[in-house]
Amino acid sequence: MTADDIMLGELERDALTEIVNIGVGRAASNLRKMVGGQVLLSVPAIEIVSQPRAARLISEREEADLVAVRQDFSGAFSGRALLIFPETKSLELVRAVTHDELTVEEVLEMEHEALAETGNVILNSCLATMANMLKRSLSMTIPEVVRGNGASLFEVIDGAPEAGLVLFLYIDFSVRHRDIRGYIAMLMSLPSLAVLKELVGEFIERVVGEDG
Amino acid sequence: MVEDTQSSHAALVTAGTSGSWDWDIATDELRIDEAFAQLYALDPGQVGVALPTDTFFSRIHRDDRARMRIAVAGMVGGAELFSKEFRVHAADGSFRWMHGRGQTHLGANDDPVRFTGLLVDVTERKRAEERLRIAQSAGGIGTFEYVDGFATASVSEEFCRLLGLHPASVLPIRTINGLVCPGSAHIIPDAIDPTATQLLGEFEVTRNNDGERRWVARRGEVVRNDGPGYRFIGVIYDVTASKEAEARLRDLNDSLELRVKEEIAVRLRAEEALLQSQKMEAIGQLASGIAHDFNNLLTIITGNVETIGRRLDENVDPRIRRSLDNAMKGAERAAALTHRLLAFSRRQPLVARPTDMAALLVDMSDLITRSISETIAVHVHTQPDLWWCEIDQHQLENAVVNLAVNARDAMPDGGNLSIGARNVCLDARGGNGRSGEFVVITVADTGTGMSPETLSKVFDPFFTTKEVGKGTGLGLSMVYGFVTQSGGHVDIQSTLGEGTRIALHFPRMRSDQPHSSATHAAGGELGHGAETILVVEDDDDVRAHTVDLLRELGYRVLEAHDGDTALRLLGRPDQDVQLLLTDVVMPAMSGWELAEAARSELPQLKVLFTSGYPRDAILKNGQLEPGIDLLQKPFSFAALSERIRIQLDT
Repeated sequence: MTADDIMLGELERDALTEIVNIGVGRAASNLRKMVGGQVLLSVPAIEIVSQPRAARLISEREEADLVAVRQDFSGAFSGRALLIFPETKSLELVRAVTHDELTVEEVLEMEHEALAETGNVILNSCLATMANMLKRSLSMTIPEVVRGNGASLFEVIDGAPEAGLVLFLYIDFSVRHRDIRGYIAMLMSLPSLAVLKELVGEFIERVVGEDG
Repeated sequence: MVEDTQSSHAALVTAGTSGSWDWDIATDELRIDEAFAQLYALDPGQVGVALPTDTFFSRIHRDDRARMRIAVAGMVGGAELFSKEFRVHAADGSFRWMHGRGQTHLGANDDPVRFTGLLVDVTERKRAEERLRIAQSAGGIGTFEYVDGFATASVSEEFCRLLGLHPASVLPIRTINGLVCPGSAHIIPDAIDPTATQLLGEFEVTRNNDGERRWVARRGEVVRNDGPGYRFIGVIYDVTASKEAEARLRDLNDSLELRVKEEIAVRLRAEEALLQSQKMEAIGQLASGIAHDFNNLLTIITGNVETIGRRLDENVDPRIRRSLDNAMKGAERAAALTHRLLAFSRRQPLVARPTDMAALLVDMSDLITRSISETIAVHVHTQPDLWWCEIDQHQLENAVVNLAVNARDAMPDGGNLSIGARNVCLDARGGNGRSGEFVVITVADTGTGMSPETLSKVFDPFFTTKEVGKGTGLGLSMVYGFVTQSGGHVDIQSTLGEGTRIALHFPRMRSDQPHSSATHAAGGELGHGAETILVVEDDDDVRAHTVDLLRELGYRVLEAHDGDTALRLLGRPDQDVQLLLTDVVMPAMSGWELAEAARSELPQLKVLFTSGYPRDAILKNGQLEPGIDLLQKPFSFAALSERIRIQLDT
């Protein structure tokens, strides 16, 4: 399987963007409810890139170490979803979701738990929406909090040991009056990408029909 | 009716709204308002009634339709917000860009039940955006907008390109400011002065994709009139080229100053050298003037001492003869002194003589060794059977000493000086077009050498590498002048740090050339004669003495104190003058002018010049003209008689 086989057409890309958008929209509204502030989202960028390139795309923007909430998903297609923050922002996120009611010590104490829970809400709403739109079901692993740099976060994912190419999908988000920003990223192996492409095609067929 | 429809549509467009819709997801029905109907060219009767939902897509541009179906499917599927731009085929036949904004309404089970929204005509904005995009890419201008309180900024693609970043619409502030070189301010400042409205600046950045250092300029405005906080909106553009041009100009300016300084220094040195040489010239003139007068006086003294000596009885008191000899020696020393003065002032005419080059060099080696410091090893070697040359020995000595001294000065820490002479046959190919047989005298040192630039100038008059006052800058140019005047040429090779080798090429004397020195009477017999000689001399004492000597030798002598008188005497038919003996330097008419005038009337007239100082007036290229001879003052009785005889007999 080569990159050409899974290259997305313009409409497929639009459709996938739309599907992700719906998921992210749900995630953002959940995040908004959690932090009680305005959340700014970018249009999702979707690219099929090599894993090193994906790592570079993140490290181009972030020099510091990163914290990520990681959830692997499997089903019709499988992959890994990541909610990524610069490490320095993660505490701020914890403070935000706990509405500044905790002391610094308490924040530190429950950072891990709070991050995992926040990540779960955001990633879950995002992935579940996508699965729903594509009329498939996905199962997700328990969220994991990992630390590292761009390269280590995008290390070879399970089930795609040699593939090299991944679907890299990311969305910037930032929260007003909170020094919080981050990315939602999804990595999928080539076989999963092929399935996804098929599902997107079905979705287009369903929605556009003969009109397209 | 149609007009009404169009005008009301226009009014709505002006108001910014072009219709609204209400999409019932549960029943799959669409309801539209009047403006929507007008835009879609639907009958007003369709307003408010249930229409098939496909009506929504009926007037959407074909190219946008699939995209819109997907977007609407997203809304129906549970997406929260709808915000899309697409083209609608309007009732007036044109395509309008519409911005559809909508939202879903959730039912009791959190399921989407309705999808409502507004259409806004954004054609003008789309065109403006297009113009802006073209302006950005054509002008290389990237835009950014930062809203106070966020950690990201909205940017244009050109903005990313300028910084070498992957195209994106949003960038973290950190990413943008992280590209700024250390020491430079931030492109998006951490804090903005609350009174600031305009923010200008230039930033050196390291472009992310290629690591190249570039300069970007930022111009931005702080907008505070819309809500809390501020928005900082601006542009960046690459100013590397103008920065570089600026730097180049600055460099050029700086180096211009340096170049001017250097040029001035060169000129100052040249001026100093010129002054020095003018000083030497003045001293030379003074010295030669003195020598001239002095030689006249010496002629009188030595002549009279000689005359006394000749007329003394054989049995005279030996003390008298000793006194006379002492007087003569003193006069001879004085003559040698004036000779040196003339040599110093470089007023010597070239007197080319057949010269045994080997002998001359061997004679000189002692002098050279003495004038060179002990740290320098001197080797003089000459080829056996070295040819003879016809040259001015004195000048050759000067030239070689000059070169040896230069070589010494080039070796302040010691080294080897080698002076050699050999025979060389050059054909036209090997000798820069100079062919023939030459005696080559080489002077080579192991000194500092010269750069090609210096080398190209060494023969220029006034060029010197020595400090002011230490050299006139005429040494090598004199050598060059002397060698070329002698029919030869000079080769010079030099390498910085290795040494210099100068080769003087003198043409071999032709074997059929008489060794003219041999024809000179080698002393002994004095020439006598009965011919008529006209003596022209402005110094009365010298003239009287000369006339006495010539009469003593038996000649018939006429005398004149200046050129005019001489010409009158020569013009008299009863006076058959065979030889004109004239001083060179005289007021009104020089000896040369007199000889010219006389020989034009009497071509057979022989001419012998006398001079204590034969100035340029008597010289053509430093060489004496054929048919003319020069007797150097002070002359002895023997020399005078000999030279008179030679002139009359040739």
